[in-house]
Amino acid sequence: MRLLHLVNGGEDLGRSRWFWIGFAAVILALVALPLYQTEFEASNASYYLLNIPLALGLSMLWGYCGILSFGQVAYFGIAGYAYGVIAGNLTETSWGPLVGSVGGLLLCAAVGAIFGYFVFFGRVQGWIVPILTLVFTLLLETFLGQTAGYQWRIGAVQLGGYNGMTGIPPFQIGNFIFQGYAFYFFALSLTVAVYFISRILMNAHFGKIMIAIREDVLRTETLGYDVRFYQLGVFVLAAMLAGLSGLLYVQWGNYITPSQVGLLPAALPVIWVAVGGRNRLLAVAIATYLLNWINYTLSEAGNQYAPVIMGALLLLVMLFFPRGIIVAIAELRWPWRRDVTPVSVQDRSA
Amino acid sequence: MKMQPAISTVNLTKRFGGVIATDGVDLSVSSGEIRCIIGPNGAGKSTLFALLCGIHAPDGGEILLGGRDVTRLPAFRRVRLGLGLTFQTNRAYHNLTIAQNLEIARRRNSARVDSDALRRYQHAIGLFELDQLTDLPARALPHHQLQWLEIAMVLAGGPDVILLDEPTAGMSPEETMQTASVLRTLNGMGLTIVVVEHDIAFVREIAHRVTVLHEGRIFAEGSVAEITAHEDVRNIYLGRA
Repeated sequence: MRLLHLVNGGEDLGRSRWFWIGFAAVILALVALPLYQTEFEASNASYYLLNIPLALGLSMLWGYCGILSFGQVAYFGIAGYAYGVIAGNLTETSWGPLVGSVGGLLLCAAVGAIFGYFVFFGRVQGWIVPILTLVFTLLLETFLGQTAGYQWRIGAVQLGGYNGMTGIPPFQIGNFIFQGYAFYFFALSLTVAVYFISRILMNAHFGKIMIAIREDVLRTETLGYDVRFYQLGVFVLAAMLAGLSGLLYVQWGNYITPSQVGLLPAALPVIWVAVGGRNRLLAVAIATYLLNWINYTLSEAGNQYAPVIMGALLLLVMLFFPRGIIVAIAELRWPWRRDVTPVSVQDRSA
Repeated sequence: MKMQPAISTVNLTKRFGGVIATDGVDLSVSSGEIRCIIGPNGAGKSTLFALLCGIHAPDGGEILLGGRDVTRLPAFRRVRLGLGLTFQTNRAYHNLTIAQNLEIARRRNSARVDSDALRRYQHAIGLFELDQLTDLPARALPHHQLQWLEIAMVLAGGPDVILLDEPTAGMSPEETMQTASVLRTLNGMGLTIVVVEHDIAFVREIAHRVTVLHEGRIFAEGSVAEITAHEDVRNIYLGRA
């Protein structure tokens, strides 16, 4: 009961019965996707979905707790590479991919904790944090980019420099290999699970403290909260969610390159989150799916200007819908809506 | 038997470059007291406040809270040991509702909120007329009630001592007197109160004792009557000393 109450708390979009009916309908449509889409299209949908955990992590970190990070793709890359190395070396056993996944997530948590410890316990503040996260990402890209030589081999796996790491094993449990439709369902269930866990967390006391920290760090500390500890907590959580996306990415494409950790991929999650509405998880999830779909469709059509269009979109949304376009749509007074939108918690910096 | 002071400092010193903002201050506030700290601009009131709550670290001396040395503890630890504080500018969460403000202020797993503290908190919510307004965003409150909200938030943590930095700044005379009356009531319920204040009318209303700071040092200390009669205190306020 308490969990249900938390799921339906006020810190995300949608609380009415009609909302949940619509939500269930969308999930149902996604579950039934193999009935009306080819395996190739389902595989594309998997790609749009697998970016959502990273975006939800950034939403919690930035939208709820006020810490902007350009470094989420670093954890995406760390998990992807770690999985490639571990699973690529454990090809003798069918448990390699599982061990690789756990290893990738734990490495993200460890790196996030060390980085976060120095940032938050060192009381680094304001705009220095996003710059540090970006520097970390670019350092990682530079490091991975120079691993082309044969000496950059871990066990049987080549890091591969800018050519990337190839032949990364797909996910598998026992003898069951997650590919095609199976991988789609795997990515879908993980994404939905991450969404609900995030929603519960942000409606719980932890989420309230996140918002308090975003609104006023000093006030929150002087109400007796160890702000550093909470900041570190959400930072590690976001790192692990970015890692989860990285894992799904390499299990989906069997391939990763340092350019995944570069400047452009680092900026994209910030766009997804800002365009959707950074302090509303559902808005972020929807925007992530749709923007990845648009991006893919544009690139597939041979359009080289996809990044320019994404940038322009960010600019327009920031100018006209500073709280996010999905949030703006959700808060429209639809004619059938009798209730007035409850006093929403606005982000002061918006 | 002499009672343990609720909050005290020993030879507390803080320098900013060549300026000594706090110069060997020995302050001792007894449990159950209302103490006002006054002084002209630049006397070191704000620095002393920041040292007491842990925003600045002192260069020398000690700060004791209920007899316990808290000199090196960060602000949140002092709060957990029974200190509450409000700032010169209002820092309630203006974008959150009153209910959310109070909910955040009520720390989970806080061992501090005993029945006395809870009684003070609930009493204050009533006196400040906040109990009817819970779904309103804090920014919709008039200024004086926003100040009251912040005091109520601090009480939610169950403090033994509260430090208030100019709590009545910007209030009308009536609102100031109402605030004074609520603080006296809370003091009667066992709360120790330290107020950094400019407004002498407010100080007259509430202070048991007054500490006058001047150039970072304690210049005079005594009852309101003693302090207002003190020739040198008048002089420093008029800039003659």
